[in-house]
Amino acid sequence: MDRWTLVAATVLSLIAGAWGMWSVHRGHRSRWTVVWMAGTLLCQFAFLGLRGEARGACPLADRGEVLVFLAWSLTLFYLLVGPAYRISLLGVFSAPVVFCFQAAALLPGMLDSSPEKIAGVNPWHETHSATSVLAYGALALAAVAGVMFLVLDHQLKEHHLKSGLFRNLPPVRELLVSLTRLLRLGGFLLTIGIVAGFLMPHDKSALPHLVAALAVWLAYLVVLGVHGIRGMTGRRLACSALALFVFSLLVFAFI
Amino acid sequence: MELLCLGLNHKTAPVEVRERFAVGTSRLGEASLALLDLHGVAEGLVISTCNRTEYYLAAEDSSHAVRELENLLAKLAGSDASPHFYRMERAEAARHLCRVVSGLDSMMLGETEIFGQVKQAYQLALDAGATRGVLNRLFQRAFTVGKKVRTNTSIQEGSTSVGNVAVDLAEKIFGHLKNSEVMILGAGEMSRITAQSLVSRGARSIIVSNRTYDRAVELANEMGGSAVRFDAWEEILARVDVVISSTGSPHAVVRPEHVERVRRARKFRPLFLIDIAVPRDIDPAVGEIEEVYLYDIDTLEQLAVEARQRRERQIVECENIIEAELAKLDLPGL
Repeated sequence: MDRWTLVAATVLSLIAGAWGMWSVHRGHRSRWTVVWMAGTLLCQFAFLGLRGEARGACPLADRGEVLVFLAWSLTLFYLLVGPAYRISLLGVFSAPVVFCFQAAALLPGMLDSSPEKIAGVNPWHETHSATSVLAYGALALAAVAGVMFLVLDHQLKEHHLKSGLFRNLPPVRELLVSLTRLLRLGGFLLTIGIVAGFLMPHDKSALPHLVAALAVWLAYLVVLGVHGIRGMTGRRLACSALALFVFSLLVFAFI
Repeated sequence: MELLCLGLNHKTAPVEVRERFAVGTSRLGEASLALLDLHGVAEGLVISTCNRTEYYLAAEDSSHAVRELENLLAKLAGSDASPHFYRMERAEAARHLCRVVSGLDSMMLGETEIFGQVKQAYQLALDAGATRGVLNRLFQRAFTVGKKVRTNTSIQEGSTSVGNVAVDLAEKIFGHLKNSEVMILGAGEMSRITAQSLVSRGARSIIVSNRTYDRAVELANEMGGSAVRFDAWEEILARVDVVISSTGSPHAVVRPEHVERVRRARKFRPLFLIDIAVPRDIDPAVGEIEEVYLYDIDTLEQLAVEARQRRERQIVECENIIEAELAKLDLPGL
């Protein structure tokens, strides 16, 4: 049953992305993207609810669950940030990322077919896992906003202003404001996750994971600090958001 | 009952003729009602904008009504202006109205302001009791056509003047311009027009710098901004978002080192530079700085031309919509 809700969420995110791209290609605003993404979120809720019930804890026990939690977090932040800042196109860029995460979660071996109850649930461990993945949702959306900025920046610099995509992209300043706020939000949540990570009972085997998390957190802190104090070009901020997110994904895939 | 349109516009009459026939908005209802005094005229409506004045009549005998109207206009204008007038009857008049409402007959192809102006003229005539069955149905249909043309075609997309292209780009970079400051280097006419476009869309403040300080003050006063001496513009560069340059200098006025010096102070915020001078005022190398978006007059003009061409390509599609909608209109005057 849980797998089918994930399949539904994956199909909806695929439709959201494809529909949005088709609309943008025709030069229209993709008003339905937000609806498809809302449907995706509901299916993700159902999936995580079922898995959480089965685990008796926050469903972050296997890689598949982590990926779906990440996709849920990204979708949630998109629905909170996108319509509020009138950047509907963010959904068109976010949907493929959500689709990729969920499709990866559906690959054989990623999800436990019969999830077992987690014994001895620790609140610090739960807080660490949940806020960290939630943080990466915000940081993933920041990376998506960064990609949108880079596309728009390139089009403005090279005077390629005829495409439907250009007409539908939000202004540079709005993108940079959203990007900065998402980085701050992600950084804040990640801070809670890191603190909880050091407070939770852990053995030596968890140390590389915590050190990697600390390194990623510090890197984000440096970017936000430099941007806030000295200032940073939009291009560097966007590249940093994108590079750091890809880097953190790679780090946690191997550690 | 026959439908008739008599009018003049920017294509048929120069401004000194058009202004003689212009009717103020407050008098449009009254002017429409006055048409009913003409013998045989059952309904009348006057449209008057800066580019056209048109009279729409529904009359039993159109040729007689035209003669009456021409006599009236000759009396009003004081001389014979008939060579400047065009006359259309029945379906041709209805088609013309649809083209006008859709912006196809406007000086700036596809402009949307005319739709509101015609709607206002119609409402005033309706309120004055100058329109009935024929003109009411005709104008309602024309408004439907106008909406359909704008929705189903891209006749209104893109900016067709250099000033508007610059404003659109500024909005693409900064969103609402209410938090944006603009600096003008050189107090030429093109700078003034472009800056005025930015102000009309809400730019927060205008700073004018010119070699002749008095001219800078004059332009700044005209635009509600402030003036700075020409040797102080570099300091201002640290705080503005948009620079419009048109100084007439034979050499580049804004060079990469000028922008490099203020990047830290600006915290690397986006900077939009509009160079409308020939020879160019802004060294093209400035455009290579990451946060700088540089557009010169050729690029802006090219964008405006492309938008005009895109609109022209839409005309056939618009005409098809008009024909399809007119075919549905079953009026006795057509």
